Amino acid sequence: MIAIAVKLLLRNWRSGALRLVVGSLLLAVAVVTSVALLADRVERALTEQSATFLAADLAVRGPNPPPPVWQQWAQQQGLRASRIAAFNSMVYAGDEMHLAAVKAVDDGYPLRGEVVISEQPFSQLAADWQPSRSGPPRGQVWVDSRLLPLLDVALGDTIELGTTELTIGKVVVTEPDRGGSFSLFGARVLMHYQDLEAAAVIQPGSRVRYRFLVAGESVEVARFNQRLSAELSAGDDQHWELITPERAEASIADTVQRGRTFLLLAGSVGVILAGVALALASRQFADGQLAQVALLKCWGVGAGRVRRLYAAQLLLLALLGSAAGLLLGWLFHAALLAVLADYLPASLPAAGGQPWLVGAATGVLALVGFALPALWHLPGLPPLAVLRSDIAGSPLGAAARLAIAAAVAVALLYGYSGNLWISLALLATLAALALLIATLAVVLLRVARSAGNRLGGVWRMAAANLWRARLHSQLQMLGFAAAIALLMVMAVVRGSLIDEWRWQLADDAPNHFLVNVAPYEIEPVKALLAERNLSSAGWFSMVRGRLVEINGAPPPADLKERHESLNRELNLSWSATLPENNQLVAGDWWPADLTLGAGEPIPMSIEVELADELGLQLGDQVTFSIGGLRFSAELVNTRALRWESMTPNFYFLFPEGVLEEFPRSGITSLHIPASEKLVINDLLRRYPTVVVIELDKVISQIQSVVNQVTQGLQMMTGMILLCGVLILYAGVALSMPVRLQQSALLRTLGSSRRTVLRIQAVEFALLGGIAGLIAAIAAELALAAIVEQLFAGGAQLRPWLWLAGPLGGAALVALLGVSYSARSVGVPPLQLLRQLD
Amino acid sequence: MTILQAEQLTKQVAVGGDQLRILDGVDLAVERGASLAIVGASGSGKSTLLGLLAGLDQPSAGRVLLAGADLSGCDEEQRAALRERYVGFVFQSFQLLPSLTALENVALPLELRGQRNAERDAAEFLGRVGLGERLSHYPRQLSGGEQQRVALARAFACRPEVLFADEPTGNLDTVTGRAVDELLFELNQEQGTTLVLVTHEQGLAARCSAQLTLEAGRVVATR
Repeated sequence: MIAIAVKLLLRNWRSGALRLVVGSLLLAVAVVTSVALLADRVERALTEQSATFLAADLAVRGPNPPPPVWQQWAQQQGLRASRIAAFNSMVYAGDEMHLAAVKAVDDGYPLRGEVVISEQPFSQLAADWQPSRSGPPRGQVWVDSRLLPLLDVALGDTIELGTTELTIGKVVVTEPDRGGSFSLFGARVLMHYQDLEAAAVIQPGSRVRYRFLVAGESVEVARFNQRLSAELSAGDDQHWELITPERAEASIADTVQRGRTFLLLAGSVGVILAGVALALASRQFADGQLAQVALLKCWGVGAGRVRRLYAAQLLLLALLGSAAGLLLGWLFHAALLAVLADYLPASLPAAGGQPWLVGAATGVLALVGFALPALWHLPGLPPLAVLRSDIAGSPLGAAARLAIAAAVAVALLYGYSGNLWISLALLATLAALALLIATLAVVLLRVARSAGNRLGGVWRMAAANLWRARLHSQLQMLGFAAAIALLMVMAVVRGSLIDEWRWQLADDAPNHFLVNVAPYEIEPVKALLAERNLSSAGWFSMVRGRLVEINGAPPPADLKERHESLNRELNLSWSATLPENNQLVAGDWWPADLTLGAGEPIPMSIEVELADELGLQLGDQVTFSIGGLRFSAELVNTRALRWESMTPNFYFLFPEGVLEEFPRSGITSLHIPASEKLVINDLLRRYPTVVVIELDKVISQIQSVVNQVTQGLQMMTGMILLCGVLILYAGVALSMPVRLQQSALLRTLGSSRRTVLRIQAVEFALLGGIAGLIAAIAAELALAAIVEQLFAGGAQLRPWLWLAGPLGGAALVALLGVSYSARSVGVPPLQLLRQLD
Repeated sequence: MTILQAEQLTKQVAVGGDQLRILDGVDLAVERGASLAIVGASGSGKSTLLGLLAGLDQPSAGRVLLAGADLSGCDEEQRAALRERYVGFVFQSFQLLPSLTALENVALPLELRGQRNAERDAAEFLGRVGLGERLSHYPRQLSGGEQQRVALARAFACRPEVLFADEPTGNLDTVTGRAVDELLFELNQEQGTTLVLVTHEQGLAARCSAQLTLEAGRVVATR
């Protein structure tokens, strides 16, 4: 049985009947596998990178030294652990002094990522940099380059820190956990944890931020997390906060999420397209098998045996096709990695088993869902079909085939995304598109028919052909239009997505924040920046206050426990108008010229996610305490923020004239190019209380991630194009027998080779043109929805789609179709007719 | 001994709202080793009768006995088993599988029966029909006559008790047709096969031991 199935399969392969089936299957598996491999490895790399943003797999942050017992627990779980203390302290060298951002690290640091150090201060050359898997040894400090001119010292000199003297061993270019946290005051001084005692800089009441880091096997990290969480909540210790890599860097997480979603979308569309191609190719294969099955039946091979023979062939095909597809997928992804070598980390983590599983399952499921229904009727073919070619069995109804394909598509998408809703939504969208396309196709075919009749000749013939086989034409147009529309949507979305990313992280995006600028310092600081041709993104004032009551009562204990923002001072600011990068979600913005009468409630705006987390509704009264003074405000609107805009954003906003009397400070963000970096020193010398937060290093990290993802998307789109072409090809191949017959007839009746080719070219071009037109309509509709959903922008028509769709479709389908059918014109008509008999 | 027998064989099909009677009460009997030619004009019901006799289709009324088994009492699987055991076919349009070489076309039914040395036997039969040098040729590389000889080799390689031939020379020119006729009868006699053939060709019909003429589904003459 298996031996015969293998023979039949080999013979079918040799005859070329299986080529499109195998091609589609291979592509489906390869697309999924490469996408899955890529996503898996990049995701692992990104997670590792996020881990390096934390310098660990898990961090515990708090105001006290971590209890030694944590170290023991970590050891018990087989985890590596490290302690960090960060604080601000004056450092001295001779007469010079600087308020430095000191970080004391022990021997374990960093658990993830590397500290990049250099012996060449201010060098931008990577060749001068050295990665280090540890912090400075005892007695040494590693410092920011800019500290050297500030203190007028060089490498090898000593600086005083508290009561100890430490030697400057290296300059530090970057640390993995430098991050965007607001702890980066002044220049960095990295020291050894055990030198802290000798320095005696930490006194009772000193503001020190401690971190306890662990890293190791993810299972063990999770266990440690659980144990610590249980311990902390049992001990009612609210000072400690657990931080995972996902939480470590919100904007990075956002980028990763978008990248993953897009890869998923691209991969899913690839699977569906390859599935459509597979279904078309399988139909063609099934048509070709009718004669063989009729013969088998007539020789007395029962339906059961025919079913087993074909099931065995399909199974073999699934195994071989999947194996080859996995290999091809691996090659695709390897090629992609080779192309992107410059953008990707030198060694990406190896992929897990899941991508292979997903790929192999895709092969089997795709055959079951897309190929099997096309072959389903073969075993039931009556043996009489051998005498009567008009008997073709009863193929599975379109509805049943569609239902099976849809079910398998959902299963595939679900297996791939792990999200049932995304899978269903994607499929529903595609189904709606299919319906729209089918309807439009009939209308346009009718138009083409009457136009063809008026034009006469070749046009009449071509249009009549399309109309006569309109169900078939419709199906093909469905495939063509879907492919073209998806390509268009992909091109536009990819463009927009990348544009948006680029815009968000533009080369001149703000990369420094100036915080804590006293009101009287704002003008001179502005002047200093103007002197250096640096422009800020606008100045905001802020007042620090605590949220103490909601609707007249203190926030519930559990909410307070859960929410950090209720336990610390918050930044409150004011604005007459809705700031840029803010979007109103609920309620109304106050009038720009609002003046509050005595006793009138003070309106207030809150960031929407925070409002949700705190359970605040419009109309709620919130009371703040600012420097011991209390005041209440009423929530009148909520806003969505674009944190990634790199401009100052505020959770709480008030109208002008409310907070101005409280002690306030200024904040701004600006772009400082690397060459102008020393302006920070001037600034800090003149205004020692100003705090500078350097985001440029964080941004360059984000940019490298975005670059990687962008390149990945380009390759993805290329693969989807390939799927689209395969559909076109399968569609053309499916309609080939009818076309061949007609060509033979026309040739027999004396038409020239040229005329036959022209008819075919016009027919294919019409088919492609109509499909392209439909694709343009569908793409515009889809894009309007996507723009509305994702980018919150207004709908706009894209004229190039309306031109490129029909023209591109016509050219592509005509080229494919004619190149495929041209061979038939060269064959003597008699031979063609006899073959078709 | 009768190997094939039809009693009051009737076939009706619905055309529009009407019942069209394609065969009407056909009786016949064929002795083992004999040959029967079914002749008649186009549309007289010849091919329908052949399909019913071979168990490819079911009659509306009447019955067919093949090697003593009543085909009308069998389901499709049982009829398939009977066909596998007793029946061979030759078709007007040859019905060679285009993706298979001559050798593979002949070997396929043998392989399906699980016969050992299927390819060796196939090669031997192809040699017998004069195509020993064309084993690896595909149908498209063979002339019509050669294709029908491959079909004959395929049919006889299975050593059927009864060979049904539907216009075996209908697609061939006269000279080639005659050569194929020769081969058909030669192999038929060699193997002692019972032959039932549908034909237009008077010459071919005349070579058969019996002849049955159909007109509008009815037997109008027997010889």
